[in-house]
Amino acid sequence: MSAQEAARRQLIAALTPIVGERYVLHRPEELLLYEYDGSALDQATPDVVVVPASTEEVAACLREAWQRGVPVVARGAGTGLAGGSVAERGGLVVSLARMNRVLSVDPLARTAVVQPGVVNVDLSVAAAPYGLHFAPDPSSQRSSTIGGNVAANAGGPHCLKYGVTAAHVLAATLVLADGSVLRVGGAVPDAPGYDLLGVVVGSEGTLGIVTEVMVRLTPNPEAVHTFLAIFDEMDGASAAVSAIIAAGIVPAALEMLVGEGIAAVEAAVRAGYPTDARAVLLIEIDGLREDLADQARRIAEHCTAHGARELRAAADEEQRQRLWAGRKGALAACARIAPHYHIQDGVVPRSRLPELLRFTEEVARRHRITVVNIFHAGDGNLHPLLLFDLREPGVRERAIAAGEEILRACVEAGGSISGEHGIGIEKRDYLAWIFGAADLEAFAQLRAVFDPAGQMNPCKLLPMGSSCADIQQARGALRAVAQGAWI
Amino acid sequence: MSDFALHGLAPSRVLAPASAEELADCLREASARGLAVVPWGGGTHQHLGRPPERYDLALTTSRLNRVVAYHPADLVVTVEAGVTLDDLQAELARSGQWLPWDPPLPARATIGGLLASRATGALRLAYGPPRDFTLGMRVALGDGRLVKSGGRVVKNVAGYDTHKLQIGALGTLGVIAEATFKVAPLPEYRQTILAAFTNPHLPARAIEELRAAPLQPIAIAALNRLGEERIAALQPFRDGQPAHLVVLARFAGTVSAVRRQIREATRRCVAVGARTIELREEDDTPLWAAIADSTAAAYDGTLLLRVGVPPDAFGAGAGLLEQIACRRGWAPRQLGIAGGGSIYSRWHVAGAEPAAVAAALAEVRAGLVTHGGYAVVEEAPAALVTHLDLWGPPPEGVALMRALRASWDPAGVLNPGRYVIA
Ligand SMILES: Cc1cc2nc3c(=O)[nH]c(=O)nc-3n(C[C@H](O)[C@H](O)[C@H](O)COP(=O)(O)OP(=O)(O)OC[C@H]3O[C@@H](n4cnc5c(N)ncnc54)[C@H](O)[C@@H]3O)c2cc1C
Repeated sequence: MSAQEAARRQLIAALTPIVGERYVLHRPEELLLYEYDGSALDQATPDVVVVPASTEEVAACLREAWQRGVPVVARGAGTGLAGGSVAERGGLVVSLARMNRVLSVDPLARTAVVQPGVVNVDLSVAAAPYGLHFAPDPSSQRSSTIGGNVAANAGGPHCLKYGVTAAHVLAATLVLADGSVLRVGGAVPDAPGYDLLGVVVGSEGTLGIVTEVMVRLTPNPEAVHTFLAIFDEMDGASAAVSAIIAAGIVPAALEMLVGEGIAAVEAAVRAGYPTDARAVLLIEIDGLREDLADQARRIAEHCTAHGARELRAAADEEQRQRLWAGRKGALAACARIAPHYHIQDGVVPRSRLPELLRFTEEVARRHRITVVNIFHAGDGNLHPLLLFDLREPGVRERAIAAGEEILRACVEAGGSISGEHGIGIEKRDYLAWIFGAADLEAFAQLRAVFDPAGQMNPCKLLPMGSSCADIQQARGALRAVAQGAWI
Repeated sequence: MSDFALHGLAPSRVLAPASAEELADCLREASARGLAVVPWGGGTHQHLGRPPERYDLALTTSRLNRVVAYHPADLVVTVEAGVTLDDLQAELARSGQWLPWDPPLPARATIGGLLASRATGALRLAYGPPRDFTLGMRVALGDGRLVKSGGRVVKNVAGYDTHKLQIGALGTLGVIAEATFKVAPLPEYRQTILAAFTNPHLPARAIEELRAAPLQPIAIAALNRLGEERIAALQPFRDGQPAHLVVLARFAGTVSAVRRQIREATRRCVAVGARTIELREEDDTPLWAAIADSTAAAYDGTLLLRVGVPPDAFGAGAGLLEQIACRRGWAPRQLGIAGGGSIYSRWHVAGAEPAAVAAALAEVRAGLVTHGGYAVVEEAPAALVTHLDLWGPPPEGVALMRALRASWDPAGVLNPGRYVIA
């Protein structure tokens, strides 16, 4: 037995009394499930997976890992798109899947306390009896977890009006690398001390494992109005988005679907997306009845002025739900176009949308790859979905090159390389495109304050240079979209 | 005494860098020589915290007063730290936009100082605190490194959001050079109703009712009788009848949506026993400015507490503060702000023994423990300031906070001794 295997067995033996044999996974067929996240750009096998049931168990497991110098990777639902939950250096994966209870809902304070493994949509279901919901609604909301949303600072269509996850988290319980437990934030804001919660949200599991979260719940709006604006030209649609924002109108959601994606979505859900359109805006406004009437009128004017051929309102709640099912299932639906994908997440100032959108199409054409743009247009958050068939020689390299070119253009337009999916493994080397050496050093210092030994999700989020050079990267091993997966 | 004097201390030099780079240079020098620095914006919040342990240099941001980039079509603005909030608002208003942020003294207060002191106002009920609309920053760390975080787009998860650490750090982690904000369209119409209660206890129920669907107030404030009397802008609305408590609820949006909400809010307040007055649109802005300013430093020998309580303890917290102060004859003036759970309580402690004030403060903190609340002394008269525990017990995670400060301000030159992370 190798020394490495001996160490692994010792770790298994140490973890077993903490969580019980059933919840220490170590056989190859058990570990297989934990090799990928939603992007499947990167792949690695953890040494051990542990599935604890409480903060105390997480803490005890981390203490064992810490004493042994074993890297630790937190995992929610594994829907991340940047390799964040992939155990690149092996080590221990801590799955929060069993910590999936909504602990309490306080309708007066409009807050809830939840365990990290609660699935996003289940929280809104728990809040519904009180006329409340959890506003961040990533398209993955039927599978992604609150812990994963917090770690990624997830966004979603309605974050245009309501803000991303960071604005909806009041407090978190965090287990640090050494197994100590720390509560950051609080039910009462602005207590003395530094806003540690502010950096924990979005830290991709590199500062600690979130084991409990207090979130803010949002009252359901009095009225909701959902409609499609249908365009024969992509430029008209993107110009309409820029014009709506420039006019100071902030809808609840303003999503855009372009080209072949529309037909793919329609084929999957039959929600009434016009398959012959070049571009469609899915627009939702919510709030007080009078405000809505006014917004709807102004939005319609901007769409018409930019060449919308038709505005089509959702007739009832069922149709509204179907339109959203189409939008949120877009990634899976596009599997009908080609078997493999690579999705980017760049952000641009909203006035620059038309030119950047054109550019994504031009890049894709040049690299001979199909691109489908279905994205959070109101935020300027592009999601060019590059589609291809890996059996075609050289296509993987072309997809990665195309993705990089698009992100570079986002940066040059004054934007960012990621709006919501995170940096993870995938974009860590791009971070230097937007941050200088001093910025990165300050980030690294912050990280070292929480995790001096560098054991929490090592090598993620920051470019780590040589320390991670020996890692076997399965970059570009793009995986087929799981058919039928609700994503 | 210099304009930059603090608790009777004056700096030996005042530095006024004209760019972020110069600001960083100043800090690099200061750090290398171990000179203690007090960053200085508009000076409106220098009453916060303990006197500095040492004070060599005042570092004013008065020359960092440019709007760096403003693209109305993107609803994003980047400004240097020394721009005053009013100047920024004026610039935004020309394009029909605003920062929905209403801290005290916006004519003098600078963006950098307001962020560093985490100053907020009643608008946070609807729009959140500044951390929620601050998109990024450039900051000169204590040792002179000029760093940035976040970005200039409304959505961005690249890197750690370290700018959030600077908000409320009272300049102990770095000096903010530049900040980028997500701005909002100015509402078409704003109007407020005032509800007067004869019940001396904070009508927590009325506040709940005012927040319940479909109402969407952008701000709610509650004033006790003494607090209300001090706000001159409220004089015209006093009708001679006894009132112990006044609740103000502010609405914004299209005229018809605001009108309906005002009607509904009035109905609800009357139902819980209040007299209500509908304010005119033109009274709206000055009134809320006056309410915000009532939380500024008074320099009149009074003590100002800011107490944080969860929403369900809002009434209990206000009652606790009044009771503790009234028992000692300190005539508390109180303002409660819904949404952030803050209660400001100003006590007339002139002549009181430091030990007596310290005991009252301890009583407040003990009473708040069950509610999970906290109390901070924002302003204390000179005779008391060194005798009181201004910040209260060290926050959870204090060891990490100290380690962070040591990483970014290794020589400990930034505002030494003033903040809870000294
Ligand atoms: C089809 C599809 C659509 C998507 N749409 C969106 C979208 O609209 N908006 C959006 O923002 N994202 C979207 N995503 C990305 C992804 O769903 C989000 O990043 C989500 O927040 C990840 O949650 P998860 O539970 O799957 O986390 P995982 O993938 O398991 O983990 C993500 C990261 O968080 C860390 N982590 C997980 N749990 C914890 C914890 N408890 N404590 C500390 N760290 C933890 C992991 O280590 C990893 O770095 C989409 C993904 C797919 C596949």
